[in-house]
Amino acid sequence: MFAQFFGSYLLNNKAVTPEQLSEAISKLKQARMKLGTLAMHQGLMTAAEVDEVCYLQSREDKRFGEIAIERDYLTGDQVEDLLRSQSPDYLLLGQSLVDMDIITNTNFQDLLLDYQKDTEIYDMDIEDQEQFDKLIRKFFLVTEKNINENVLVYMKLFFYNLVRFIGEDFTPMSPVPSSEYPVNYCVSQGIKGDVAGTAHIDMPKDVAISFASRYANMDFNSFDEYVKASVEDFLNLHNGLFGVNISNEYSKEIYLDPPKTEETDLIELDSNSYVIPFVYPFGTIHLIITM
Amino acid sequence: MSSKPTILVCDDSILARKQLSDVIKHFMPKSNIIEAANGQEGVELFNEEKPSLTFLDLVMPVMDGISAIKEMKKINSKANIVVVSSIGTKNELKLAIEAGAMDFIQKPFSVDQIKMLLESYFKED
Repeated sequence: MFAQFFGSYLLNNKAVTPEQLSEAISKLKQARMKLGTLAMHQGLMTAAEVDEVCYLQSREDKRFGEIAIERDYLTGDQVEDLLRSQSPDYLLLGQSLVDMDIITNTNFQDLLLDYQKDTEIYDMDIEDQEQFDKLIRKFFLVTEKNINENVLVYMKLFFYNLVRFIGEDFTPMSPVPSSEYPVNYCVSQGIKGDVAGTAHIDMPKDVAISFASRYANMDFNSFDEYVKASVEDFLNLHNGLFGVNISNEYSKEIYLDPPKTEETDLIELDSNSYVIPFVYPFGTIHLIITM
Repeated sequence: MSSKPTILVCDDSILARKQLSDVIKHFMPKSNIIEAANGQEGVELFNEEKPSLTFLDLVMPVMDGISAIKEMKKINSKANIVVVSSIGTKNELKLAIEAGAMDFIQKPFSVDQIKMLLESYFKED
């Protein structure tokens, strides 16, 4: 999950363009973690040493590990450990950007250090709940509001549900402070009970077709009733799972209104509203949550 | 499963109805599947067609699932009703069971869940 937030950080800091990030994300499924990236991440090699070994590798028919051992940058045991170690998803994203010549290994190392300093999360290998909570609170800081516990739970689940039902190849953009939101194709659902609010999910119709195709695992070619139903289903499913979550963990009960297509052109927002864009390769969706 | 029962699928989402109907049709090709888009339509179809098994969503317009279960139970106290809902909280489960539901499936459902359920309701004679 850190890859999505790291991608967002890179965009916000203009280290990459949206197009470059989108291309790097689209290559992630085929990407394989390189030993040099892991060695650099674990502090065993510097970016310059990794670059040097990569250069030598291009001239000699040897593996990265062999050259790194010959140069005394790594021991045999360290190479074995690195080969067995798990690779965090954000490292793969950074490596993809390096492979595409968008950033250098040195840039990547610096950006990662800056990101860790910015988020105050230094051990991003373990994606535990506490770190994820911290990351989301930090993500919302741009709105200059402290999000309440309900919004935190809601957003955590939304990130997971996007990964689970639509795909992990998205980048969350900073929440947009706004008093109103112009509608494209928008579905809303009222939440009542111990936690009250309204959730909207909005996207252009062509984006809805791709979104629905992924959600329903069907090929939709036009904006029809199945596409509309898919967007409604996703929101209803997410809110239902949110209800289960807060019922089980916080003993709070919610009731949902049926999801409906928003008929207005403009949604009025209040101080408890958050507009969060999520950029997928097929387009941008917006979650508008008031809670 | 070679039974030819009538099975009612009641959900306001056309996608959810299609997905569930497709799975039922796969395992019970001879079944007669009827669909309703809200609780009210569901009760009316239930009354007319007397289905052997009813799948019902909870969050629906016009008449919600819990109210629909109560109405269906008034028509047939032995009705086999299975709730398929995204909001599977203990409270919703309790309300559904009290109203007369026999089973509760949390969305998103798996094909295996539906298969096992159909097998339990329509055992080979």
